[in-house]
Amino acid sequence: MTETIELALKTLESQLNQPLETALEACARCGICAEACHYYRAEPKVEHIPAYRSEQLRSVYRYEHDFLSRIFPTWTHAKKLDETTLAKLSEMAYSQCTLCRRCTVNCPLGVDTPLMMRAIRAMATAAGTAPEILVMLADSAIEKGKDPSFFKDMFLDQIRDMEVQMRDIMGDPNTTIPVEKQGAKILYVPLAGAHTILPPAIVFNAAKEDWTLSIFEAANYGVFLADVNRAKQVAKRIVDEANRLGVKEIVIAECGHAYASYRWDVPNWFAGQFDFKVRSLIEVLAEYIRDGKIKVDPTTISAGVTYHDSCNLARNGGLIEEPRYVLSKITTDFREMTPNKAEALCCGGGGGLVALAEYTDRRLAAGKPKADQIKKTGAKIVVAACENCRLQIGDLNEHYQLGVHISALTDLVVRAMRLPKPLPGHEAEHLFEGEKAPVLGD
Amino acid sequence: MNILLISQLFALAGLLAGVYGIYRRYLETKHRALPADKSPLKGNPMHGVTYAFTVGMMPWAKESTRIHMIAYLRGIGFHVGIFTAIGALLISPFWGFLPQPLALFLVAVLSLGSLFGAAGGVMRIAEHNLRGISLPDDHFAIWLTTLFMAVTALGVQNEAMRVPMYIIAGMTLIYVPLGKIRHCLYFFFSRTFFGKFFGRRAVFPHPEPVK
Repeated sequence: MTETIELALKTLESQLNQPLETALEACARCGICAEACHYYRAEPKVEHIPAYRSEQLRSVYRYEHDFLSRIFPTWTHAKKLDETTLAKLSEMAYSQCTLCRRCTVNCPLGVDTPLMMRAIRAMATAAGTAPEILVMLADSAIEKGKDPSFFKDMFLDQIRDMEVQMRDIMGDPNTTIPVEKQGAKILYVPLAGAHTILPPAIVFNAAKEDWTLSIFEAANYGVFLADVNRAKQVAKRIVDEANRLGVKEIVIAECGHAYASYRWDVPNWFAGQFDFKVRSLIEVLAEYIRDGKIKVDPTTISAGVTYHDSCNLARNGGLIEEPRYVLSKITTDFREMTPNKAEALCCGGGGGLVALAEYTDRRLAAGKPKADQIKKTGAKIVVAACENCRLQIGDLNEHYQLGVHISALTDLVVRAMRLPKPLPGHEAEHLFEGEKAPVLGD
Repeated sequence: MNILLISQLFALAGLLAGVYGIYRRYLETKHRALPADKSPLKGNPMHGVTYAFTVGMMPWAKESTRIHMIAYLRGIGFHVGIFTAIGALLISPFWGFLPQPLALFLVAVLSLGSLFGAAGGVMRIAEHNLRGISLPDDHFAIWLTTLFMAVTALGVQNEAMRVPMYIIAGMTLIYVPLGKIRHCLYFFFSRTFFGKFFGRRAVFPHPEPVK
């Protein structure tokens, strides 16, 4: 046995807890999960059936753990793990499954196929066969956490420029984007890029919130690698920052995997050091609108709007009704995709796929069911509250010529706030027919 | 010792072996770590578990079962048949006391179960996708349980069929913990984990709209 295989098997053993063993044992291979998967819907072949995918790991598990399989491997297709099998498993888990859990909710037994795909990802990461770019992105985030002074000055300069822009948009010279403010109530964790800082900053200022901006970004590529050690190190930057500043709450930008990991995983990784609440920006927007902390004009957006449920936010995160509440307050023509909410189709960009250029063709093909869904609504604006989903739907928009505008939820909220000046990209020339200009007094 | 008694003892041995095997599996799985979830609740894990075993099992609760309604109902009928066969086997020494209508009802359920089983067995061979994901274990398990139900249906009516019935029953029960039939144990683990996961996150039962 080579060292690579030994590492992979050791990782499988370390992952083998009750939920994983259950997922490995429970499948009856009824095949009813096939159409639940967007890969299968886009290209109906046996290899795209979730049960087939999980069988690839089961064959290895059975060889190691099943009495009958050890005596008679052909009976259960049990297979000794070798380099070729590991390479195939790795490619499958990183390129043919977005960990969306749609198969799980559609399985009569509730088999957690993504849990098995995560186990494979962890094996591949440990054995060194995971996609390099994901490893690099996770490692660079960890390095960034070790020495923030390396980028902090440049970051602060950018924030000062954004502050000027924000004052212009809001018509208020007193608004600020506080960074590392001691004792603030909220620590807002953005993604890389002004588009995830400026609109939320406007909302926080309009709501007169006691907030501060994190110097780190919420994305966590360790999660995609299913590497808890790396993921913890990436998350630790923000946990430490929150503890240092003494905030009450962390608010995560519109990002599916970041929300799911900080809301549902990080409290387990840092039990005892994690005394703050985690919310998504979406929940905060819903609260501000409900409590009248920000005023929105419900008639601003009259073009057809549809909402894409990110798998990490909705099915895996429980944020299902909150974005719909926000949209109900700022749009007049909201159109649901079918299916939606917990049954929503994955766009094909999750699980880190958007970052893996080598699988672009596969990703675009798997996104066809989502593109068809969007087309069917006839909506002009597609709202997605997850960065990876927005990137994927943007690519689908181009590839399948959907002719839609893709927006973050916060951007539309800011537009409905009808401020003195519009957000970049929301100027009058970008509006759809029949829409009010997003500027106060128009 | 007559052959009927030998076959009955074989079935009893099968039952004991099957129960012991499943119990061993249960202990092995329970022995594995169960990660504690310390994330703050959004929903209620117990409501999720209740949903997973009730409403969530209804044919209309999932897209997959809505579009494969016949296959799903076939599966339900097949499983009802299997559990009926096990129940019937356990009370087989008292079949002589069964009222005729109840005996006929048993035969009907078992016959339907074996028909559904046979249909499933044929589908596994004939249908491209199912064939592609099936293992020899799957084919064997479905035909073995189908045969078990069929001979039990015959055994209820015909004493001459009781020897083959007890032998097939013994074989089936011995096989339960060895092959795919052991998913009968993992069904309970799986739906429980499903319910806890989605219940905690307020995904299932479906949340109320925000007001």
